[in-house]
Amino acid sequence: MPRTTRRSSGPESQADAIEELYARGVTDGLPVVPPTLRRVEQAIAASGREADDLIALVPPNYGRATVEKIAVNAVMAGCRPEYLSVVIAGVEAMCDEAFDLHGVSATTNFSSPLFIINGPIRKRLDVNSGVGVFGPGWRANATIGRALRLIAVNLGGARPGIISMSTMGHPGRYTYCIGENEEENPWEPLHVEHGFQLSESTVAAFAGEAPHGIYDHKSRTAKDLLTTIARSLEVIWHHKATALGDTLVVLSPEHARTIAGDGWSKKDIQRFLWELLQKPVKDLLPGRDGGEGLPEAVLTRFQHPETDETLVPKFRAPEHLKILVAGGTAGRFSAVIPGWTFPNGSNLVVKKVRIRE
Amino acid sequence: MAKDDRYLDPTDSVAVPRKTAPRPPSLDGKVVTLLDISKAKGDHLLDRLEELLRERAKPKAILRRKKPTFARPAPDDLRRQILKESDVVVEALAD
Repeated sequence: MPRTTRRSSGPESQADAIEELYARGVTDGLPVVPPTLRRVEQAIAASGREADDLIALVPPNYGRATVEKIAVNAVMAGCRPEYLSVVIAGVEAMCDEAFDLHGVSATTNFSSPLFIINGPIRKRLDVNSGVGVFGPGWRANATIGRALRLIAVNLGGARPGIISMSTMGHPGRYTYCIGENEEENPWEPLHVEHGFQLSESTVAAFAGEAPHGIYDHKSRTAKDLLTTIARSLEVIWHHKATALGDTLVVLSPEHARTIAGDGWSKKDIQRFLWELLQKPVKDLLPGRDGGEGLPEAVLTRFQHPETDETLVPKFRAPEHLKILVAGGTAGRFSAVIPGWTFPNGSNLVVKKVRIRE
Repeated sequence: MAKDDRYLDPTDSVAVPRKTAPRPPSLDGKVVTLLDISKAKGDHLLDRLEELLRERAKPKAILRRKKPTFARPAPDDLRRQILKESDVVVEALAD
């Protein structure tokens, strides 16, 4: 029988490179694209920046994220050269003081940076914001998220078990990158809410757990649907957790349409959810219905906590409930993404993508 | 071409893991700072450690300091203060 696959030395040498790079400890465990000088130079050229431009120092080891180092990691992740400007903006976002990559990379908690892309660059790079938004199949989402993770490890030092001590880890630590579905969003998109122009492109970094699904096929009013969402948010972290900060509520297009159809704004949604997510002190006591509960410092403010009806909000302020629209146009499912979000924890940070003219 | 030159290095060679400082042979006569990183119940552990230190060694002084939050690095002022006033630091957390 003649062989049906022609033999050549090409694939074999590529496989050697994959083994060699894995052995150096610079990958995420999956094969990487070998960062040859030619590939890295193409990526740098596409960014329109100088190779030695310093974008940020990456916590917690504070390695220097120059355009060249970012490009090496982006090539390894499988990025096309034109993705580099987005990866650079992602580095700026996750290295911003307010994001606290130091804590996010070292914590025993779950969280992983999620990158949210807004603006016209989504169409230009074919960033998925629609069906299967958190899943595989789109090169831009898959490789931009992966590049940023490789940068956190190779320049920031976030190696699992050495600096990164997350007890459970997170599948999003391979890659975690979505576009906002601005076309199906009845309100202003995330970047406009954060002061950018609709015509600008941005990358937001958010330290999040995995997406938790919320099912509601029956509600046909904003109030009914948001009540389902609020009740589903009650169990974030645990059912008595309070003082939480930035948390993402990712509405599907169908859910967004139901809510906007009743004339509700994003602020109305935030306020409604925040108000519903309050519990009386007596229901938040440690040792009653589970060992967790209000911290001692808070409990001492109440004389008889076991009967006190004072309402304590789960979220510090309504604005911490960040509303986003993403996902396919069919399906009455939304998602909640809990953050690394106690006071002094991580905050959502948005940075502009600087595109070569 | 040498094997290591075929691909560009994705790491920053400057950012190498830090080494631990040399251990003093004895704590006698030393100023020991016990640093609480502000996680719940860290003080339980450090209280006991202070008791044991007073029982088993003769430190010149034991100072208690606290980071404002466990989520971020200690502020520069606090680091400078600890560096200035202590010979040994024990950093601890509990949960």
